[in-house]
Amino acid sequence: MFTTGSKFLIGSAVIATVTAIAYGVTQDGVMGTIGLASAAIVLWFLAVLNLFIRDSNYWADEISSIDTAPAAVRAPVNTVWPFAFAFSAAVFAVGLVTYQAVFVIGVVLLLVTGAEWTAEAWAHRASADVSHNADVRDRIANPLEFPLAAAIGIGIVVYAFSRVMLWLSKTSTVVAFSVLGAIIITLAFLFAYRPKVSSKAAAVVIGVGALGLIAGGAAAGLSGERDIEQHETTEGLAEEGVDICTSPEEFEADEKASQTVAATAAVAATITLGADGELTYELNGPSAQGADGITLPRSNPNNIVFRNDSGEHRRLSASLGTEVVEEDGVEEERPFYVCTALVDDGGVQNITMSVALPSVTAEDGYFFFVPGVDTARLNLLVP
Amino acid sequence: MSRRVRIGLVLGLGALAAGCAEDAPQDMWQPAGPNAQSIADLSWLVFVLAGIVGVIVLTFVAIIVVKFRDRGQAIPDQVHGKPTLEIVLTIIPALILIGVAIPTVGTLMALNDTSDTECVINVTGQQWWWEIDYPTQEGCGSGISEPIITSGQMVIPINTPVLVRGTSRDVIHSWWIPRLNGKRDMVPGRVHTNKLEADEPGIYAGQCTEFCGLSHANMRMEVIAMTPEDFEAWKANQIKPYEAPAPDTLAAAGEQTYIAQCSRCHQVNGLEDADGDPIISRPDLSVYSGAAPNLSWLMTRNTFAGASFDLLSPACRPEVWQAPPETVGQEYLKGVTPECLNSVQLREWLRNAPAMKPMYTDPEKLEPTDGLVRGMPNLALSEDQIDELVAYLLERK
Repeated sequence: MFTTGSKFLIGSAVIATVTAIAYGVTQDGVMGTIGLASAAIVLWFLAVLNLFIRDSNYWADEISSIDTAPAAVRAPVNTVWPFAFAFSAAVFAVGLVTYQAVFVIGVVLLLVTGAEWTAEAWAHRASADVSHNADVRDRIANPLEFPLAAAIGIGIVVYAFSRVMLWLSKTSTVVAFSVLGAIIITLAFLFAYRPKVSSKAAAVVIGVGALGLIAGGAAAGLSGERDIEQHETTEGLAEEGVDICTSPEEFEADEKASQTVAATAAVAATITLGADGELTYELNGPSAQGADGITLPRSNPNNIVFRNDSGEHRRLSASLGTEVVEEDGVEEERPFYVCTALVDDGGVQNITMSVALPSVTAEDGYFFFVPGVDTARLNLLVP
Repeated sequence: MSRRVRIGLVLGLGALAAGCAEDAPQDMWQPAGPNAQSIADLSWLVFVLAGIVGVIVLTFVAIIVVKFRDRGQAIPDQVHGKPTLEIVLTIIPALILIGVAIPTVGTLMALNDTSDTECVINVTGQQWWWEIDYPTQEGCGSGISEPIITSGQMVIPINTPVLVRGTSRDVIHSWWIPRLNGKRDMVPGRVHTNKLEADEPGIYAGQCTEFCGLSHANMRMEVIAMTPEDFEAWKANQIKPYEAPAPDTLAAAGEQTYIAQCSRCHQVNGLEDADGDPIISRPDLSVYSGAAPNLSWLMTRNTFAGASFDLLSPACRPEVWQAPPETVGQEYLKGVTPECLNSVQLREWLRNAPAMKPMYTDPEKLEPTDGLVRGMPNLALSEDQIDELVAYLLERK
């Protein structure tokens, strides 16, 4: 199928392309990338041209040979790809002066239609037998076309699906997709029990479904996503200056807060509030006996697990000195706290805290405490 | 003796001789503590068993190759399936593996058991050095009344099981002191433990064993094991109050240069500004990992820059590093004197650190980290400033 000269040129073009990409990604040299990319383009052009004329080598005075050269022979069938390629070039040109997205689509279309045109033109000159030529074309093109088409199809379905889900309200989403799921299962059931259903009918059903999904996705995408309510967090409230970390009361951030932690192994410390109102701690490995608190490295994301065994809803807070915040252009120093949400009795939550300054910078040092439980206090040392 | 045999002998003896290196500070076959000893014992067991199996298999292969080589004879009858032989050849490896698994699992569990440790030391890895801090505790000899923080070199008392609680500030690192224990990954957000114990005083080298970026190969560390008495002296030195240099000295000028150039990232405990307020470094504003080595008592250590370079000159280094166990602690406690300072490399480092150790400090390439450096940048210090800083740092002991 591939002539000798074409193999050489295609190989050279592939090497030049790979080298241009590798050089462009790993090196800063713009000129080098341009040079390699230019070489790749020229080699691809020569490879395609050579493939097209099938290594023909005719002298100008060999009139009869020129007439029978593959390039001179008309393809046995008409093809739509030149038109598609021209359309892609138009999209590409429009993209250059309008939007980046159009430009990218134009590039992709140019590559796809160019590849299809090349494959078909090459295959059409394999023989005078149209069906044989079609086989030749399929053999080279299908291994690329099928996976690409599947990936694009799946991508469109997933994207359309996600747009619809994000457009519907949370409740409607559950209803809509329960109904859709039921329809799909019913149709599958019918097809399974009626194997004589024509493939045309199945194609119509699937086509209508796909069109509906794509249309729905497009409409939903244009309409935009539903309003997604941002749930307040203890961290966010603390940053806003709300005294959540010093209060035993329930805030919005405490509602529906998780009461479990998936990974509790290998954390910096597990702090437990007992029924006696005391804070105790466990470390990975034996604790430093006699230590009057926990020592954590500075500027390090430390995970602290809080376990509430007090019988009441409680949160663990950490007093970390003061912080300077800017509000309306005015700098203000205020106490710096981090805390968990309210933890149910028997519940567990995690704080990830990174402390930039050593504990000696705070007048009272750093310490953990539980709002509403005066006896619950544990020193935190950051060297 | 044929030429081939002679070449084979030379290569074999060469390979054998390569395993006899004397200066091999990271040789796990020379255990210096009970944990490393149990690993070495297990390794020998596996090594011997694997060696015996290897010799038997290779012997059979050699016999078969020689005895049944192609001499033009007829191909013998082909036999398929011999249940007895197949069962025997399945059971024997299974028994060998079980025999290896029992001591392996036992050793792993013993190494993981940290309940008997008497001293807790925190280790935090970052690109490309180790921070080591000692939390307050009753353990570690007579106890630690206030946190000690150092880097690169961990000091421990001999015959004391030490619990290392390790984590990382940036990427995964791995802590390995081969002569004292196996390796342990240090993972951001997690605290992993490792048990160390040294039988006799000495300097035990190690290095990061999880690829962690550009200067992974330059992320080294040492454990200095010393007698309990020497360890107490070391602790006392680490928590003594800051002493400012004498006025109008080169070191005093160095203190000001340090405050101006270095204190943004490096902490010297007790250092105060002109108003008497403590100077607190903010490495989190400049360094990707959020930390830089604490230089309070730099000259009590004898390496710097992730233990990549010696603070001791080549002439003085052997006095500490090759000291016998009876005196190594005392030699180490002497710290770095002006006469013994490796001023060439220290000055070179202050002149242009990235030229000595590959780091990500080029301002034009810091976009991925929002301008935060990984390593020490070139501070473009003048030669006078370098002289002042060296004088100042020499007093940090």
